[in-house]
Amino acid sequence: MQMAWKEVKKSKMKFLILGSIIFLVSFLTFIISGLANGLSEDNAALIKNVPNGQFYLNEDAKQTYNLSKIDIDQQDKLLADYKGATAMSIQMGFVNDTDDKQHSVAFVTSTDSELFPNVKDNEVVLDASLKDDGIKVGDILTNNQFSGEFKVVGFAEKQTYSHAPVAFISMKNYQEIYRVMEMQTVFIPGSDSPDSIKGLESFNNKEFLNTIPSYGAEQMSLNMIIWFLVVISGMLFAIFFYMMNVQKIGLYGILKAIGVKTISLFSMMWYQMLLITAVSLVLSVGLSQVFSMVAPAGMPFSLPIETSLLLSGVFLVIGFIGATISGFQIKKVEPLQAIQQGEM
Amino acid sequence: MAIFTIDDVEKTFKSGDVSEKILKGVDLDLNEGEITALVGPSGSGKSTILTIAAGLQKATGGQVLFEGKDMTQMSQEEIRKIRSSEFGFVFQSSHLVPFLTVEDQLLLMLDVAETKLNKKQQKQEVSKVLDLVGMSHRKDAYPSSLSGGEKQRVAIARAIIHQPKMLFADEPTASLDSKRSKEVMEIIRNLTKTLKITTLMVTHDEDMLPYADRIVTMKDGLIE
Ligand SMILES: Nc1ncnc2c1ncn2[C@@H]1O[C@H](COP(=O)(O)OP(=O)(O)OP(=O)(O)O)[C@@H](O)[C@H]1O
Ligand SMILES: [Mg+2]
Repeated sequence: MQMAWKEVKKSKMKFLILGSIIFLVSFLTFIISGLANGLSEDNAALIKNVPNGQFYLNEDAKQTYNLSKIDIDQQDKLLADYKGATAMSIQMGFVNDTDDKQHSVAFVTSTDSELFPNVKDNEVVLDASLKDDGIKVGDILTNNQFSGEFKVVGFAEKQTYSHAPVAFISMKNYQEIYRVMEMQTVFIPGSDSPDSIKGLESFNNKEFLNTIPSYGAEQMSLNMIIWFLVVISGMLFAIFFYMMNVQKIGLYGILKAIGVKTISLFSMMWYQMLLITAVSLVLSVGLSQVFSMVAPAGMPFSLPIETSLLLSGVFLVIGFIGATISGFQIKKVEPLQAIQQGEM
Repeated sequence: MAIFTIDDVEKTFKSGDVSEKILKGVDLDLNEGEITALVGPSGSGKSTILTIAAGLQKATGGQVLFEGKDMTQMSQEEIRKIRSSEFGFVFQSSHLVPFLTVEDQLLLMLDVAETKLNKKQQKQEVSKVLDLVGMSHRKDAYPSSLSGGEKQRVAIARAIIHQPKMLFADEPTASLDSKRSKEVMEIIRNLTKTLKITTLMVTHDEDMLPYADRIVTMKDGLIE
């Protein structure tokens, strides 16, 4: 495909413009995707860190974990029947530090489990982000619903829920603060096809995330922007190649007249599209990775390289479709038309 | 010996309800290695018969025999193959590829014609042909920097580099002044004689007629 490359070389400006548009759109897409992902972790890292499995809520809870209560006998039976099962509860709340400053946290408690830190009564393990607020191991925290005091015994990395840092506390302390005996949910790891359990409704991790108020809405709007950008870039390809092809109708005609196959003309366009997209994507993947390294600590931004590659693949496919659709006119060009059109 | 036979070819153009018969049964034999000049008044159908013969449009009646095979019965793909390897074209404007250098234009033609030459042989062939048309010194130039006569010489080089059996030329000198026209005709004549290419050429220019072996006049869609 020498001819395709030679055209790019000769008409640098034209292809540079297309390339920079693709670069900008894809860069923007990567940044927004990084933000969406960052926000989603900020919102629900606690759940996202849990391996795949099923969360069981009470059927009467209207799919809201806050309203769910699992009967204690049933909980004991489930924990005995399923290996690795954990009963747990989450409630938003506050802790006051030694300076009486209030920090909003998500209290989490669970039965003994490898998934969450095991904390003794009157102890607390906090999300590491609270270190930035000046809280240290050994500090004493209080809560106005709680008769005792929490001693900070450690920090856990990336444990947030509903945009708040998680505070892991013991079940006994939790039961005192929220005045409930029952846990909200039982998590059973690893079951792809959930066993149906009488009186309970099962949710896989993703479904459970969507029961968090705000999570679904937040992710939906960001994802909509992402896909919108992807579609726009596909249309850009289509429009750009359409305009370029219109300009080249005469050339295509003459090439067909001397016997160039239509498929060669298409390959020429595909090659150019691939080249430009690949270069633009390499640049924007690189730059967005740099951005994710230098992004300010407070900014929820997380862009795993897999996500970038996946989106890049989507861009390539979309670009290919856009270019091909606009290429249909190549097929229609009659050699004679070009010859009668005169000088190009 | 006729290598190319146009036999009772008709062409009717339809637009809506109106249909107009432009060619009314054209008969013409082209002898191997000869240059046939096609002359006649404007609108008499010269370009139409030339493009039909060249496989660029279909006749509505009659036969077009190239080496005894009827092109009107061939598929698009068969005709494309013949056009790419057996035919060469020169038109009033040179129709060069704007983003290819003179050398690349000719290399492209060798690729399209699927000649069995390797890269090195291709380059040799290109420089030989560029010598013949006197354009060796501009082999790295792009079409936009060439004069009209130079472009036309490159177009001729492109039309014959793959050693076609037929050359179709529609007013190849119409865009050139009389001095350049003669140079270009000289080149066409020399090349087609050396390479034994059979040529059908439409021209308006009486000065070009001495370069032809045979002159055929068209009038109102018929050969006189
Ligand atoms: N695609 C077409 N549709 C309808 N009419 C056409 C078409 N092509 C050519 N014609 C008509 O056919 C007639 C012959 O055209 P042609 O181009 O063959 O003439 P010509 O002899 O080459 O003329 P000139 O010397 O001016 O080039 C003209 O009247 C022209 O208008
Ligand atoms: Mg004409």
